[in-house]
Amino acid sequence: MVARRFLRWVPIVVAIAIMFGLGLAGSVVADQDHATAWSPIVYPMQRLPLVFSHATHLARGTPCAACHPAATTSRSAVDNLLPTELLCRACHPIDREKPELIVQGAPPVACLTCHPDYVNGAPVARVYLTPPPLKFDHSAHRAATCESCHGDLRTVALATTQQLPTMAACLRCHTKGVDERHCADCHLAKLGGLIETSFPHGVLVPAHGGLGDAHGPDFKNHHTQEARQVGATCTACHDRSECVACHQGAVKPVDFHPGNYLLTHAVDARRGKPDCSACHRAQSFCVGCHEREGLGTRGDTQWSASDPSRAFHPPGWATAGTGPNLHAREARRNVASCASCHRENDCLTCHSAQPGALHASPHPAGWRGSARCKALDRGNRRMCLRCHIAQDELGCDWTAPP
Amino acid sequence: MRGDVLPCARMFRAWVVAVVLAAGVAPAHAYEFWLRAQTIGQAYQLRDYRLIGPDLFLGVRRYTQTLALRIWDVGDLAATRREAHLPDRGLRISWQSYLRIDHDFGDYTSGRVTLQLTAPVRRDALDVTPELGESVASLELLYGYLELAGLVDDRLTLQIGRVLADDGWGTTGIDGVAARFEVPSVPLTVAASAGLAVRASSPLGLSAYELDGTAGAACQEYVEGPTPGSGTWRLIDRNRIITNNRLASDYESCPQRDVAQPTVGFSVATARLHGFGAELGYRRTWSGSVGLIGPVDRLTYPDLGLYPNDFGQAPGSGVDEERLWARAHGELRAQGVTIAPYADVRYSLLHAVIDRADAGVRLQRGGHTLEPSLEYFYPTFDGDSIFNVFSIEPTTDLRLGYQFTGPIVIHASGWLRAYHHETGTSSVAGGADAGIDRPLGRQWRARVDALWDDGYGGRRIGASAEANWRPVPTFWLRGRAITLGVAPDDGGQGTSARPRYVTSSSVFSTTWRLSDGVAVHAIFEADYDAIHDLQYRAIGMFDLAFAPEP
Repeated sequence: MVARRFLRWVPIVVAIAIMFGLGLAGSVVADQDHATAWSPIVYPMQRLPLVFSHATHLARGTPCAACHPAATTSRSAVDNLLPTELLCRACHPIDREKPELIVQGAPPVACLTCHPDYVNGAPVARVYLTPPPLKFDHSAHRAATCESCHGDLRTVALATTQQLPTMAACLRCHTKGVDERHCADCHLAKLGGLIETSFPHGVLVPAHGGLGDAHGPDFKNHHTQEARQVGATCTACHDRSECVACHQGAVKPVDFHPGNYLLTHAVDARRGKPDCSACHRAQSFCVGCHEREGLGTRGDTQWSASDPSRAFHPPGWATAGTGPNLHAREARRNVASCASCHRENDCLTCHSAQPGALHASPHPAGWRGSARCKALDRGNRRMCLRCHIAQDELGCDWTAPP
Repeated sequence: MRGDVLPCARMFRAWVVAVVLAAGVAPAHAYEFWLRAQTIGQAYQLRDYRLIGPDLFLGVRRYTQTLALRIWDVGDLAATRREAHLPDRGLRISWQSYLRIDHDFGDYTSGRVTLQLTAPVRRDALDVTPELGESVASLELLYGYLELAGLVDDRLTLQIGRVLADDGWGTTGIDGVAARFEVPSVPLTVAASAGLAVRASSPLGLSAYELDGTAGAACQEYVEGPTPGSGTWRLIDRNRIITNNRLASDYESCPQRDVAQPTVGFSVATARLHGFGAELGYRRTWSGSVGLIGPVDRLTYPDLGLYPNDFGQAPGSGVDEERLWARAHGELRAQGVTIAPYADVRYSLLHAVIDRADAGVRLQRGGHTLEPSLEYFYPTFDGDSIFNVFSIEPTTDLRLGYQFTGPIVIHASGWLRAYHHETGTSSVAGGADAGIDRPLGRQWRARVDALWDDGYGGRRIGASAEANWRPVPTFWLRGRAITLGVAPDDGGQGTSARPRYVTSSSVFSTTWRLSDGVAVHAIFEADYDAIHDLQYRAIGMFDLAFAPEP
């Protein structure tokens, strides 16, 4: 009945999924290409109150090094490689005393030509270029052409961050860069070797770049697939203790489970998802609390002893003989939830082939002779000996006496 | 005479030693290190529910101290390249470790319980529930290894010590060695690890790394009765003297849990490939049988004293885990859409079943992300656990997630799970949730979420609303209200003896960042539901490792 009720929603869910897919494909949303986008943390906001045309200069045959001579020798990303006024004067006969000067036959020299906001007598608007938090050695890249990293500037007026290489561009040559061992080849590292991610202008987080490690909202709670990626680069920025602190945790993160989860966790626990054992050890975490709070079988059980509505297991849970024997179905569906409290001896009280036990077989139909039986028997017969003490009952090929 | 000579001889030897030491001693080195220490104190009370009379309150008084340490470039082997602005290559030696001290000294673990046996017996809670031992006191090294990177032309990395091995679904601690080698000219890496699996009984060990935490039956042994077959399972005695140890159970002995578990594993994975990754791996863990667990003649009849019973059929060793796994993922771009398919599968050779598998694809365009996926799960346990031979029904999940990240953040997801019965039929559970997170001006942010799920396990329907105020970058104030209706379901019978109830909760919290990595948190929570009436919680926290989420 329940199954039917859900199954009728399947076509609707599929239809919605298709609609979403089509919507995405035809979306007119601007393509914010994360793989080739310029990180505002790696390349902080610039202020360039300038008028300049690379296109014009290159069309005249001006080589890049004429204006950026230090680019061939620079060994650090903090070096300022912009041309100074002194370099401009090589072609532009600038005269600060005559801000509106026009020199016939010479390139423009008036201040307003390059500084559009210039007001006579006022200070010139400053150029702000925050150095990228990167390690970069221009001199080591001399063999490469400028265009290979900065693109074709013949059609570009003022160069901005758009003309700086993205990480995807770097990885085209530096194929080893996808390995987390090499992140610190370019990114700044802290003491201990971890990548520095915290800067005054923001926090550096991975974007999509072929590494499968994009950090979205609520990433802390939904990162299974990212962490499972082959060659995941998590430990370049994160110390392993950050993972272990939650997954083998002694202390619960404050914001993981919603308020009053103690009361509502039963539904999740019964279903077995989310995977409680990702953080909580299966056979000790649950039972410790349940027993101490009176919701178990070993400790103080008076709370649930005679009130069926409050007992942990409902009436008819385990009935030897006729009766609903509800636990069988529950155990088949989520035996892990049984194992979270019960030790195996609890099961062996009935499910054992030993003399005196009920001989209630816990095995699935067709167990003897099955591949699973043979594999388990071959791998570890100790578990068989928990119930079967007679030599002739061991193995998967024997036949039960009539 | 000797009495006169000896002091001079001693003096001479001391002088020689001093000269040799002075001449031979290496100059002192200081190394870069990164250290993060966290001290967490918790004090709260849990209810001990009682049908008659008021509930009792059990105090948890828990102290946890962690220490994460990284020492980088031991020996300064990379200094020359670093000073020359060259990327790290060649041999680099580093140390990474994480140590934890955990102790609960409240009534919760250290209290006493009255057992209603033939006569009331009062015992330590720890003796009644030995599993509490994990919380009482522990000193654990979660990992700690020396890493030698950059060997063999920067292709080989070695880790020695307590290393971590991962198969995509879980992490295991190994006391031993792990190696990773990058194959030249082929984009592949080969990794291998070998050692002893970390268990609670390992030096500075912890139970969290036990294969699955079951196999607890090994704490008892079969003791034969007056006639063959009339015996019972009893706690393993081993002439145990009850010392009333308050940090461990006095009545339990689990020799099989103390046995060393050798483990070996290897994997082959792609490397240096942009947009594609794949791995094939194998791991096997086994352990010897305990064998004699006490004097041969400790019982009143001839026995062999062998685990797990006294007839001596136990094999010399047994496999605890043997798995083969494969995973692959890719990422490609077409028409501005990032398409990232993935598939993972794990096969248990011990059980001859596929125990985990999933497949899905993440589609992303701009701020939109859509992810349909399929997941299969077949529960498996430690090789000593009898749960392995039980009738078990696997599950298959169909999931669909959507997220938009932009000026506002929207998420929505739906799931449908089928429980595959032996009879060929299925039971189903499913649900959906959605939420929206939106900034309101520069200082305010609001979030609304709704949840509905139904089917096997029960039904829940509810919603939450949250407001977040951050007037300055160092101060957060949050308020959240949650209400949830729950209709429990007992064992999928469609009916339940349990009452439905509604729970509501209000949470107010504030965070004040004092400086980098230092913050004070305060949380106040008020809950109301049919069982507890009104209850309050207040939590204060001084955080010396605060890292705000971006």
